[in-house]
Amino acid sequence: MTTDHDATMSNVTGIDRLRAAATGAPCDRIPVFCNLFDQGAREMGIPPRQYFSSGAAVAEAQLRMRAKYGYDNVWSLFYVGKEAELLGCRDILYTDDGPPNVADFVIKEPRDIDALRVPDDIESHPAFQSSLECLRVLRAEAGGKYPICAYLTAATTLPALLMGMDKWMELLLLGPVELRDRLLVKCSDFFRKQIAAYRAAGADTLVYSTAFTSTDFVPLSFVRNVALPWMARDLEPGGVEGVVYYCGMSRIIGALSLVLERWKFPAVYLGPMDDITQAKRVVDGRAITCAPINDIPLVHMSEDEVRQEVRRMIRAGMPGGRFAFGTAAMPLTIPERIIRVLIETACECGRWEIFV
Amino acid sequence: MLERVIETYNEAVFDTDRDRALEIIRDAIAAGITPEEIIFKVVVPGIETMMKAIAEDFDANLAQHFMTAQIAAQVTDEMLPLFSAPPEIIGRVVLGTARYDLHSLGKRIVSGCLRSLMIEVVDLGVNVAPVRFVDEAVARGAEVIGISAMMMHTADGPEGCRCVRRILKERDLERSIRIVVGGAPFRYDPELWQAVGADGWASDGITAGRVITNLIREVRS
Repeated sequence: MTTDHDATMSNVTGIDRLRAAATGAPCDRIPVFCNLFDQGAREMGIPPRQYFSSGAAVAEAQLRMRAKYGYDNVWSLFYVGKEAELLGCRDILYTDDGPPNVADFVIKEPRDIDALRVPDDIESHPAFQSSLECLRVLRAEAGGKYPICAYLTAATTLPALLMGMDKWMELLLLGPVELRDRLLVKCSDFFRKQIAAYRAAGADTLVYSTAFTSTDFVPLSFVRNVALPWMARDLEPGGVEGVVYYCGMSRIIGALSLVLERWKFPAVYLGPMDDITQAKRVVDGRAITCAPINDIPLVHMSEDEVRQEVRRMIRAGMPGGRFAFGTAAMPLTIPERIIRVLIETACECGRWEIFV
Repeated sequence: MLERVIETYNEAVFDTDRDRALEIIRDAIAAGITPEEIIFKVVVPGIETMMKAIAEDFDANLAQHFMTAQIAAQVTDEMLPLFSAPPEIIGRVVLGTARYDLHSLGKRIVSGCLRSLMIEVVDLGVNVAPVRFVDEAVARGAEVIGISAMMMHTADGPEGCRCVRRILKERDLERSIRIVVGGAPFRYDPELWQAVGADGWASDGITAGRVITNLIREVRS
């Protein structure tokens, strides 16, 4: 039995708030997005390995945590390494105090790239069944009321999960280019199939994670000449409807203008170190700007410090509207009372009447 | 001639153009510049230039850090066998990722830079148990333990730096061995390195070279 934190206060849903932010229409407050992943096992009172093996458990935890804290979305993401499992990874490292991680890379040597097989039908893949189960529950319980988020890794970033970031940087920057491109074609094909599968299963907010379009990672010339053409290939069949542009936790600002000239993303999700005012100026009303708090220090911040930081961010983001508040990594060790203060302050400061 | 080599080498490194950087070095050797001059007047100052630029808020990206270290390490590997006498090692470091952390990129960047700075690196790999960091540092006579952690639970968790600190204390090794940490959580929370008991931290792999050099000097003084 769960109690809905904000149902007693208003009948406005997360979807209503998101639509209002997209159009600039009035609403009770801005959308507040939150990503609690590893907290789900604790919420359900079961060990992480058992928790992450059950799509129903992940969905139930998402619904409970959304109701408990009162934010505006639910997630179908289990952990980032799940995509590697769809491409053959068999070894995930589970811990009690953090996210599961890829423990054995699918690509260990160049010939593994040619052997890598993109599943013909992701929806029938055994590793996707728990995601489908999760989405079935979320769609039934939250569909049409709260955005159902999915996390999709861009072709240029996915190889880091398949071969490790250092080996991928080496191949990406030093070549051989033909080998690199053979891998990128497979990763892009996988992306296209995966985003279609998530859309078909009911995910409506598709977070496109593309660290290699951040100039924290690579020079702007590399973004322009290498990353963006692959991004175009990823997104070409399905378009950008429901897709949120995101650079991992890296800053988005460097190539943001280039990206928005080319694609009409409905929303951009900044990095926690981006300057909100500067980013909103670049976005210039073309999309919802969602600004995540730098949530790593929340582990030891006081309630007052959290309130001050949330207020600062919302003051920076509110002018001009089309703004949402969000989180980034949300480590498991952030105390529950801090999560409550974080979300309550964002909801309170993000009230419509304040910024009109 | 040497000035021109320094200038063009630095340009190639900043442009992440490894092939051009290596060509410049090989041409310089062919023109009579010694391997010792290549390392100590070109490669090491090149790393120091990058460190200085980063310290002065130059917005270097990860690719530049990676390539600076890659190029420096490769040139060092090619030049060391050509030295007229083995170079003096200024110190030793054991490097690894924290327990349960499998992210090796930062460690690789740090390792490449340190080797060029004539610091001997013992790479313990990934997912390293705290006691192994200490045992290996003692066995190798290392002045510094470098712990890389890319996730909050490995940076701040009980089997990361906190545990290494506890073991050093229990064995009365704190004066002879320093701990340096690095990785994303420390960048997002600049107070975290002190909270976990490290003696220093570096915001990136290149800066780690300077931090570790200073810690080695501290231990040796």
